[in-house]
Amino acid sequence: MEQFESLLTCCVCLDRYRNPKLLPCQHSFCMEPCMDGLVDYVRRQVKCPECRAEHRIPYQGVQGFPTNVTLQRFLELHAQIAGELPDPTAGQVMERCNVCSEKAYCAPCAHCDKKVCEDCKSAHMEVLRREISRINNQIRRGVNRLQDILAIVERNTTNLQTNCASVGGEIDEIHKRLAKALKDRTDFLRNEVDRYLATELRNLTHLKDNLELELSNIQSNCDLADKYMNDDVEWEDTELVDTKEIFLKTVEFLRNFDYEAGDYNRRIRFIMTHDPNQLVMHVASYGELNITQPNAYSGGMQQSQGLTRSKSDHRLATQFRQQEEAKGYTENDEPILGGRKFGERRPPPPEKHTRDTYSTADDYSGYESEHRPSRRFRSRFVRSHQQDNDSDTESTTRAAAVKAEQLQKEKEKVTDTEDATRGPLSGIFRLSDCPRVMQRILDVDSGKKKEKKEPPPPPKPVQPAPQARRPPAPARQQSEDDEISRLKRQNKGAASSQEPDRAPQRAVEEERTSIARKPPTPAREASSDGESDESVGSLQRTQQRKAAAPVPKPAVTARRPSATETPAPHRPAARAPSTESSASTESSGSAVKHTGNERTAPVTTNGTTGGAQRVQSRFIGSQRPTPAPVPAEPAQDSDTSSEEETDSSEESEEEPAPQRKPESQAMARSDIGPLLARSNNARNDAVDNKTNKETPTQSRYRTRQTSQTEEEPPSRYSTSSSYSNRYGSKPKEEEPQSSFDDESKYPTARSRYLALKERRNRLARSKSSHTGFGVGDDDDQDDPVSPTTASPSAYLAARYGSGTGGSELSRSRSSHALKSRENSPERPVAGEKDGAALSSWARYLKNKYGSRGKDRDTSSGTSSTSRRLSLGLPLRSANELASSDDDSKNAAGSPISPTAATAAVAGFAAAGSSPRSQYLQKRRLQFSVGSRGSEPGCFTWPRGIAVGPDNTMVVADSSNHRVQVFDSNGIFVKEFGQYGSGEGEFDCLAGVAVNRIGQYIIADRYNHRIQVFDPQGRFLRAFGSQGTGDGKFNYPWGITTDALGFIYVCDKENHRVQVFQSDGTFVGKFGSFGSKLGQLEHPHYIAVSSTNRVLVSDSNNHRIQVFDVNGRVLSSFGEEGSEDGQFKFPRGVAVDDQGYIVVADSGNNRIQIFHPDGTFLRAFGSWGSGDGEFKGLEGIAVMSGGNIIVCDRENHRVQVF
Amino acid sequence: MAALPRRIIKETQRLMQEPVPGISAVPSETNARYFHVIVTGPEDSPFEGGLFKLELFLPEDYPMSAPKVRFITKIYHPNIDRLGRICLDILKDKWSPALQIRTVLLSIQALLSAPNPDDPLANDVAELWKVNEGEAIRNAKEWTRRYAMDN
Repeated sequence: MEQFESLLTCCVCLDRYRNPKLLPCQHSFCMEPCMDGLVDYVRRQVKCPECRAEHRIPYQGVQGFPTNVTLQRFLELHAQIAGELPDPTAGQVMERCNVCSEKAYCAPCAHCDKKVCEDCKSAHMEVLRREISRINNQIRRGVNRLQDILAIVERNTTNLQTNCASVGGEIDEIHKRLAKALKDRTDFLRNEVDRYLATELRNLTHLKDNLELELSNIQSNCDLADKYMNDDVEWEDTELVDTKEIFLKTVEFLRNFDYEAGDYNRRIRFIMTHDPNQLVMHVASYGELNITQPNAYSGGMQQSQGLTRSKSDHRLATQFRQQEEAKGYTENDEPILGGRKFGERRPPPPEKHTRDTYSTADDYSGYESEHRPSRRFRSRFVRSHQQDNDSDTESTTRAAAVKAEQLQKEKEKVTDTEDATRGPLSGIFRLSDCPRVMQRILDVDSGKKKEKKEPPPPPKPVQPAPQARRPPAPARQQSEDDEISRLKRQNKGAASSQEPDRAPQRAVEEERTSIARKPPTPAREASSDGESDESVGSLQRTQQRKAAAPVPKPAVTARRPSATETPAPHRPAARAPSTESSASTESSGSAVKHTGNERTAPVTTNGTTGGAQRVQSRFIGSQRPTPAPVPAEPAQDSDTSSEEETDSSEESEEEPAPQRKPESQAMARSDIGPLLARSNNARNDAVDNKTNKETPTQSRYRTRQTSQTEEEPPSRYSTSSSYSNRYGSKPKEEEPQSSFDDESKYPTARSRYLALKERRNRLARSKSSHTGFGVGDDDDQDDPVSPTTASPSAYLAARYGSGTGGSELSRSRSSHALKSRENSPERPVAGEKDGAALSSWARYLKNKYGSRGKDRDTSSGTSSTSRRLSLGLPLRSANELASSDDDSKNAAGSPISPTAATAAVAGFAAAGSSPRSQYLQKRRLQFSVGSRGSEPGCFTWPRGIAVGPDNTMVVADSSNHRVQVFDSNGIFVKEFGQYGSGEGEFDCLAGVAVNRIGQYIIADRYNHRIQVFDPQGRFLRAFGSQGTGDGKFNYPWGITTDALGFIYVCDKENHRVQVFQSDGTFVGKFGSFGSKLGQLEHPHYIAVSSTNRVLVSDSNNHRIQVFDVNGRVLSSFGEEGSEDGQFKFPRGVAVDDQGYIVVADSGNNRIQIFHPDGTFLRAFGSWGSGDGEFKGLEGIAVMSGGNIIVCDRENHRVQVF
Repeated sequence: MAALPRRIIKETQRLMQEPVPGISAVPSETNARYFHVIVTGPEDSPFEGGLFKLELFLPEDYPMSAPKVRFITKIYHPNIDRLGRICLDILKDKWSPALQIRTVLLSIQALLSAPNPDDPLANDVAELWKVNEGEAIRNAKEWTRRYAMDN
């Protein structure tokens, strides 16, 4: 056998013959490298090493020598007998090593990505080993940072828990206290009321009895006199005298007896010692949670970044180092090891490896379906290794292990892949869990293999190449026992054809990440569910309130026993433009006494007259918890002797909003109020007859309400339904919904005719108002005395006053503008239907107006603003209280909502006050979303932005060719779209819009088309193509929809705006290239106001143009420049439902806000990348909460203000 | 840097496993291509009883070129000069890749047995060997005793 062996050995390489070539001298040598090496190229000879015979080399080179076939057969035979492995290099051809240029059997080297010979490869591995050990040292040094962080995190966890627990405790405590206080007080008051009721009732009963007795006595006397005081009966003179006396007395009694109605006409009045609005507001917003973010992890990341890099700049080591760095601080951004499995080969160079003996195509597919491909030998050793985590492993993998442990919160049950322990933050997994590693370590430990210097760090490269390539036969068989997939993998690995492996692996990787990404979604859904629940709750609440509302009202009115003031004097007070002094006194008195009148509030609209509508809205205004009047009123109430001036000053002092001018406000109150009151009276005259039958008390209260509204003339129109409703409910996030509910509930089956009419009026009004101070103009037209006449500042102040919770208000406002408009028509109707329906509402309306009329008649000129204020306050507060606390109290509740609706109708202009103040305060960044990148939540040149349902932010992530959706807090919700021109694919999309039903409408810019997606992001349809004709686009940019679903597209390069139906049918177009009015040059963005004004950012003309829906130009504002109100290439334009216009002044890197008429309000922002700084603004939108969201293109983010 | 060719590894292994009688070749710990060689003087030769140290270096292109061999121990031989360089055809032009370390060393051993003064390297030694073989052999014995035996 020995000799046989030697016969099969090439004497040059002392190895088994490989491709033996037979020389003419009959000696055989391997073709490569042996024969190759023998060639004397100069003489083209080869000298036989055995016999030194020289042979000419054939033309083709040594290949030309005949192959020693016999010898080859012997070799095969020998291999069979000995059971040897086929020579792995048998089929290979020698190549030049890419490193040492020697000819050898080359294999790809993972280190340098080249095909290199064994020698170089092992050298590289040596380098790697050294690098690893060095890096390992660094890691060890750096690990304690992670440990520190871990400790911090743990500490923070406990801190958080204790903190939250304590805060929760505090809140509970406060809640208990508040609840108890409230309950105690409520009970007390209730008892008082009951007691009072009982007493009065007793008195009244007593009186009644007496009267009845008297009556019967007198009656019997009369009867007796008729019957017997004639001649038939004999009466003594004394008797007759006495009788006469008695009768005289009776006459006198009858003449003189006067029922002192006042005594029993008293009313209990409920007066709040504190302004109920404020109280409620305080309660509603009692306490805030101030959250500071602990930055534990960011620090950690930075620190890990701080790991010093390997100093060796060995070219070959670079890549490895990159990997190693990736280990340190990429947070799952890129899968570690480039998504490969540990120890797996990188994607091989294109060369095919033919020795893929075991794997087939089927195998690959099966392999793909396998979760994580496993490595050879793995399964066999997994268990044992896991059980005895011997010290060697421990030490070698400690660094990685520590990280893995630390970073990974929950370890899934250990599968036999390294994914099991993958660290969620860094993607580092535990090397000791890698099957390959286990195998190596086990080999080392068991001493099966010959000793190898294994560097302590990850033993990945330890295995010498030949072994990796040619696993010993027994080992292979073991693996064959394993799952088929593993076998396949192993074989593949053995054959070193890794291409197939890689692909499936990637897929798996992606899958995993996608899965990882998913979890947030459910959570979000849950939250939204919660919201909806809340909204439902609020709905229910409002319903309850409504139901309850009518009931208490009568009770209150009945109860009111005001001794001091008869109804008559009070009524005039409300309406009459009397002198302030008298008013003040009266108000003080009334305020004190009338504590109960809040409840009466039911306000209905009398739809028949414009005045009625106005009244309604006015009333709404009054109900609004305007900070200005509200604070003032309590003061007045408490202060009985205060003069009007002091009152007003108090008011102004108490007003929260700093922008308001106290004095002017005071003026407004004193001046405007009476005037308005007068006008009201005038208007009310028409209705007087109806209302006359009203009970004095009711009417009186109603007048109070109206008078109160009068005191805030501007607010009348400015109140929006949502606002008032909101007040009815609580000023919370859910409000929009609840308010909506209110509105929607109110509209019953009553005819909408009136409403429509009113709406029309309103629209007309609003149109006109566009030119000026929207609201003010309206007032001018409608009212004899306009608020503007008094003084603008006063007007403003009043407006502000009405706009207390500005932000809250605006929040609900925008979202509901549409709805409220729709609803509004129904409300005013009632007035007309008066007699027919006689619904409570209608009745209410009637009463209201009637009372007014009465008031005016009886006591005009006696009222004063201050009094009105005092009266109005309780009214308002009652509403609030009712809504927030006690449903039964809420007599006013039902009236509110209808009025609210009307107000909303009037409202888009009206509510302007609050947004305005809000806008004035804008400048502070709330938060920003995103950074550059293509991951979810990152952007690459975001452009269009829109607000979707539930206040989601919809962002056109232009150069990532997708749409991203965030919730109102900037948390990523979903994305859809990818690059391409197919359905649902984008090419640099620009504009986004969300229509009423939540569909996404996307301007797919480079595809020159518009795409529509359903609310889930599924493609619905596309329309348009490149061109200049109708329905064709040239780089469509901004896009928007109006309430009716029409789609407006800025057809940028065609310098026009096109209008489509929601199904994509072309409707119209307007604009042409030019700079004249009505012409456009590169219109970028577009917005449609709730009044159907179409605002186009006429970018290259540096202006905003306003069109009507038919494309007629209405106005234009702005010019080139950087002053206030000037633009440089304005882009995004948005309009809130009050008509306020927000413009992304791109060239000036600022946001400008304009009044609905286009006059400048304010600007903020500058160039830069900090908070509140911009670099190239794009789309802009206003959320329903009044937040302005803007795409900060070059900063690749969305900022929210 | 490059790793050892399989042939060298094989040869080394074989030298260890099946040492040639009278010859020991141990690779250097630092350089696997460098061998410390000890050759015993052949019987019936003036060098009998001596242990001759040699160094053997396998060049980069071994086995396509001959190993470099040199006597470290001083030896009185016509084909080996003062510096220990050896005049042996298989180490020069007659080298064949089919030859191995062991064959080279055997050849050297044989050379000790059969000096070839006709192809001299050390001319004075060769002269003496030709002129007065006895004295030359005596010198050789003397040198062997002096240089190759005491350590």
